[in-house]
Amino acid sequence: MHIDELLAPRILIVSGKGGVGKTTVAAALALVAARHGRKVCIAEVDRKGTLPGLFGGAELGYEPRELSPGVWGLNIVPEEALAEYLRVQYHMRRLSRAFTSTSFVDYITTAAPGLKDILVLGKIWYLEQGRRTGEVHHDFDLIVVDAPAAGHMLTFLSAPLGLSDAVRVGPVRRQSEWLVQMLRDPARTRVHLVTLPEEMPVAETLETIAALQERVGVETGEVFANAVYAELFDAAELKRLDELGRNGDFEVLRKQAAAVGLELDDEDLDPLIAYARFLEERRRIQATHLQALRRNAKRPVVELPFLFSAGLALPDIETLADVIEAS
Amino acid sequence: MNPIAELVAAKEVIVCAGAGGVGKTTTAAALGLRAALDGKKTAVLTIDPAKRLASSLGLKELSNEPTKVSARKFSAAGLKAQGELYAMMLDTKTTFDKVVLRYAPTRDQAERIIANRFYRNISSTLSGTQEYMAMEKLYELHAEGAYDLIVIDTPPTRNALDFLDAPQRLTDFFDSRVLRWFLLPYVRAGGGLMKVANVAAVTFLRLVKRIVGSEVLDDTAEFFANLEGMYEGFKQRAREVSALLHSQVCSFVVVTSPAREPVTEATYFATRLNESGLPFGALVVNRVHPHYGDPLPVRTRQLARLEAAGGDGLLLAKLLENHEAFMRVVAREEANLDRLARRIPRHRWVRVPYLEREAVDLPGLKAIADHLFGEAPGHS
Repeated sequence: MHIDELLAPRILIVSGKGGVGKTTVAAALALVAARHGRKVCIAEVDRKGTLPGLFGGAELGYEPRELSPGVWGLNIVPEEALAEYLRVQYHMRRLSRAFTSTSFVDYITTAAPGLKDILVLGKIWYLEQGRRTGEVHHDFDLIVVDAPAAGHMLTFLSAPLGLSDAVRVGPVRRQSEWLVQMLRDPARTRVHLVTLPEEMPVAETLETIAALQERVGVETGEVFANAVYAELFDAAELKRLDELGRNGDFEVLRKQAAAVGLELDDEDLDPLIAYARFLEERRRIQATHLQALRRNAKRPVVELPFLFSAGLALPDIETLADVIEAS
Repeated sequence: MNPIAELVAAKEVIVCAGAGGVGKTTTAAALGLRAALDGKKTAVLTIDPAKRLASSLGLKELSNEPTKVSARKFSAAGLKAQGELYAMMLDTKTTFDKVVLRYAPTRDQAERIIANRFYRNISSTLSGTQEYMAMEKLYELHAEGAYDLIVIDTPPTRNALDFLDAPQRLTDFFDSRVLRWFLLPYVRAGGGLMKVANVAAVTFLRLVKRIVGSEVLDDTAEFFANLEGMYEGFKQRAREVSALLHSQVCSFVVVTSPAREPVTEATYFATRLNESGLPFGALVVNRVHPHYGDPLPVRTRQLARLEAAGGDGLLLAKLLENHEAFMRVVAREEANLDRLARRIPRHRWVRVPYLEREAVDLPGLKAIADHLFGEAPGHS
């Protein structure tokens, strides 16, 4: 993958099944962009609040905040997006609190389903257009959207298409057409999917690719297969392990250890072999699912490594960014 | 006794709750399967619209009404059920229609509500509706008394807490002061803006009209007008559902993986159950990495020498590195889980390891059930 090609559109939407590591991949993509001199903004739209944790900071607000050099973040809350919309669109400076209360937003978004998603997408549009909406003006080169999980993401992205059913005239109708143009133009928006090399996540990813095409008219960009176990032992080594393990005789390994001053007995060596077998077993299972993914997704699959480190923090994101850059 | 086996033997309702992607639906299906094998007439109710529950049970599709897993499907999988297994998938709209039909004073009023566009939007869009209807369906199934055990997974809410608040949130929405403040004058004035005396409300209504159009406003006004007099019924039912969930026939199984975020959610959830006086039953920790041996005191220098030796030396170096890496994963998972141990005593835990096969069919579900019941080979 060419980095310039990856970073060409101004909006990258990152989605996938729950628990596959969407936020991590979104953050890694943002780091890659920042390393290439882009001013990036990560937009959380799900109120998950997991993103700032990766950068070791407090919760994000509606006003973008710098998380690490060149990487900004904000949390797009529908209530605030509505308030902002009313302010920008109707020049309503002082809004009654009732307008932005949760029950009013619930009401208005129930009256016009999809309006909540449109307000959120509208904020992304403001960011893309570099529109001045608040006190501070930002001009981001790239907006990485940490989107909701796959099922909800489809509803989210198809909101501007579906709104016509509820709202037949007026500014919102016209604005949703702008949003459809924004989403369907591959030069402006690209949707990337994150998955795991496992049966259900792969099956869901394939369904999502098809649904994005049919329901939203959007082509999926890259597919990121997360938490792939690295190849550690080559074929000859695996054969050798089998030989050594066959009679439970680890004499050879014990001698190797002793030669460097390491005392290992069978109780130490058994677990070493067990983990080697576990790794290979998981790798074999993952390989079949990765193969199915590559065969059926018909688009680039980027493998991201399983991280053995102590917890997900900035160094891990840096590692993933390295892999994305190298792929 | 294993906590899961205990619950399946004693309870009538088991609710599986947890973050997205931790295996709630599979856990619910495996529990239901095992109960049916052991002789119970069991229903599994899923909220997850994914087709995989159906296919793992060998069924083409699921609907709002129970579908039976036939004896033939069991025997094809080499299993014999002493009881019966039924599966169903929540249909929010159909369930909501039944609620409306039950509480509307007249059939006409119910039909007016069901035909209303704002009502249709509520059943498909308003957050909390799905959760409310899941509880409604559960209550209805339980009240029928046709099943020994009902197992339900919770909706894929972004936050497990939403699900506990949902019924309240929906009744609050119907009863909202903000809505009454600006909509009721409109309703009473028969839909004419000019006749609404409250100036602030007029500003408000004008704005709503500009954003979503006047048809939408009329739909809403009609909906709320028809809903008058039904609030008490909704609230009464919410109280009954709550009483069922709080009773001793019901139990909550919290499902998690050992990863940080699901554990955080599970911890919150356990706390909330406790605060709300809801009966906690067991914790299921899915996809735990195996724990082999203990960390070894290997020096970097020793590793370097082994690597330099090549051949069996290099092989041993790789084995040591791999072991060390998995020890770190195990330590990380245990550290995450330790936080949970402060909320949920360990004797209520059941761990399910990474399994070679995913639960894509009845034997796959049976393998998971064996782990849940602590009966899998090599289970400690």
